[in-house]
Amino acid sequence: MIKRELRVNLRGFIIWTGTMLVLLFLIYLVYPSIVSDGKGNKVNEMLEAFPPELLKAFNMDIAGLDSAFGWLKSEGFVFLYLIIGIYSCLLGSNILLKEESEKTIEYLAALPITRRKVAADKIIVSMIYILSMIVVLGVFNMIALNISETPDNAQLLLLSVTPVFPAIVLFALGLFISTFTHKTKKMLGISIGMVFAAYILGVISEMGEKVEGFKYLSVFTLADSRRVITKSELNPICVVISVVLLAVFIALSLVRYQKKELV
Amino acid sequence: MSETILEIKKLTKYYGKVKGVENLSLSLNKGEIFGFIGPNGAGKSTTIRSIMNLINKDSGSVWFDGRELTRDDVEAKSRIGYLPSEVFLYDDLTVKGIFDHHESFYRNYSRAAGIHEKRQTLVERLKLDESRKIEDLSLGNLKKVGIVLALMHEPELIIMDEPTSGLDPIMQNVFYELLKEEREKGNTVFYSTHILSEVSKICDRVGIIRNGELIRAGQVDEISDKQLTFVTVTADDVDALTAALGVKALSQEENTVRFANNMPDDELIKKLANFRIRKILIEEATLEEMFMHYYEEGREDDKT
Repeated sequence: MIKRELRVNLRGFIIWTGTMLVLLFLIYLVYPSIVSDGKGNKVNEMLEAFPPELLKAFNMDIAGLDSAFGWLKSEGFVFLYLIIGIYSCLLGSNILLKEESEKTIEYLAALPITRRKVAADKIIVSMIYILSMIVVLGVFNMIALNISETPDNAQLLLLSVTPVFPAIVLFALGLFISTFTHKTKKMLGISIGMVFAAYILGVISEMGEKVEGFKYLSVFTLADSRRVITKSELNPICVVISVVLLAVFIALSLVRYQKKELV
Repeated sequence: MSETILEIKKLTKYYGKVKGVENLSLSLNKGEIFGFIGPNGAGKSTTIRSIMNLINKDSGSVWFDGRELTRDDVEAKSRIGYLPSEVFLYDDLTVKGIFDHHESFYRNYSRAAGIHEKRQTLVERLKLDESRKIEDLSLGNLKKVGIVLALMHEPELIIMDEPTSGLDPIMQNVFYELLKEEREKGNTVFYSTHILSEVSKICDRVGIIRNGELIRAGQVDEISDKQLTFVTVTADDVDALTAALGVKALSQEENTVRFANNMPDDELIKKLANFRIRKILIEEATLEEMFMHYYEEGREDDKT
């Protein structure tokens, strides 16, 4: 079961990861010319004209854009969180539902295997791919940045881990919501909408004290890259919350799936 | 006394307010082919999906070989083969790939020890090409793959929903032979269909389902031999005749009337003796006619 799931989901993993790698490669290729000859300082000066709330939302108040690593710490990771988040949420919402949507569930349900085992194997495979994507992108960033400049590798390593937290929660949330429907088409819109809503809430929450509460509604808060950049450590509360949310939503998904009508 | 392999007890399933099946009880004996007949929407697939635990029952239970069949009873599932009415398999695999995948689930079951050999025999007899991709298969070939998957692990109970749709007549005969061989080995077949000729051809017993309720069950011969006859009479006053007999005309043309009759022949003739009969024909109902009769009767009941 696991072997088959690994094979089935490999193509999606390669497409998503490959696309990200190409984009990062292109950025790293052209970025040195953007910031060369003191142009990076000009970019930073230009940014000073932006409202501080906006700069804070993209970590630009604590990381300059005068180097590729600076770009990665600010805009780069925001982009990575979003894309890894969408991939994880889609994987969560499709991994069980695909069998129902493509009607192969009647075959699968007749096999001598429990529903719990079916779900568990699919969850394990999803986790393997989500973590592999984060590792591949992290290693690529590490290699690419070390070729062009001398980044703070300890900080880069910790930053590379941060996408794990929103990603696993979005995966589990997608998985749970998928147990309420039979069609993957419905889940596509819901998943993407959910990730973008969380992303926008996360950005808005940085824009003033009045809207600060929104950060509790955004899973991207769990990445807390500001803490890594300013203190060079992961936020332990976010780590615990992520693991707890993952466990809760997976447990709820298993309970729902166990009772679900599959046709 | 024959041993029961599958027992459905008071099964009820509603989809919202729409009835799927209601209070349906049924049992299958070891080593028989049980025909489950009814038109589309009668509740056949709901019954089968309830057995397979694909849907949740509102009430009632399903028992397999003396124990309640729950959705996670893996050991029981290893002894059941299932062919759904429409076969959907993994498009990315070849026929060989899906058979290998299927085999991998039965390695720990001694009953399925000969799974690979049986697969080869079935592939040969159904003339399947294992190198072809699932997505390239025609409806008939897909059905054949489904048949192999339902039979290859030597199940004791084989549940089939409209199994011959898509099969050409030659393959249908091969398929009937395969089912008879399964019966000879002592395996049981639950055969759901709306094709009545199939039932008379291969089934030992039959259950008729109408509007979610089992209206008759018994030996195929027994059901066919029940008192129902079709009588065609030419008489002077057919209206008075049908009124006196309390029957409804199936067709009427001038002085000739055709009606379904449940009375014993002796009683019928005594009642007809009161009229001037010119011509009479009494025909034994075939299984098909029995079935249609029960359905027509049902429709009338539903109207009233």
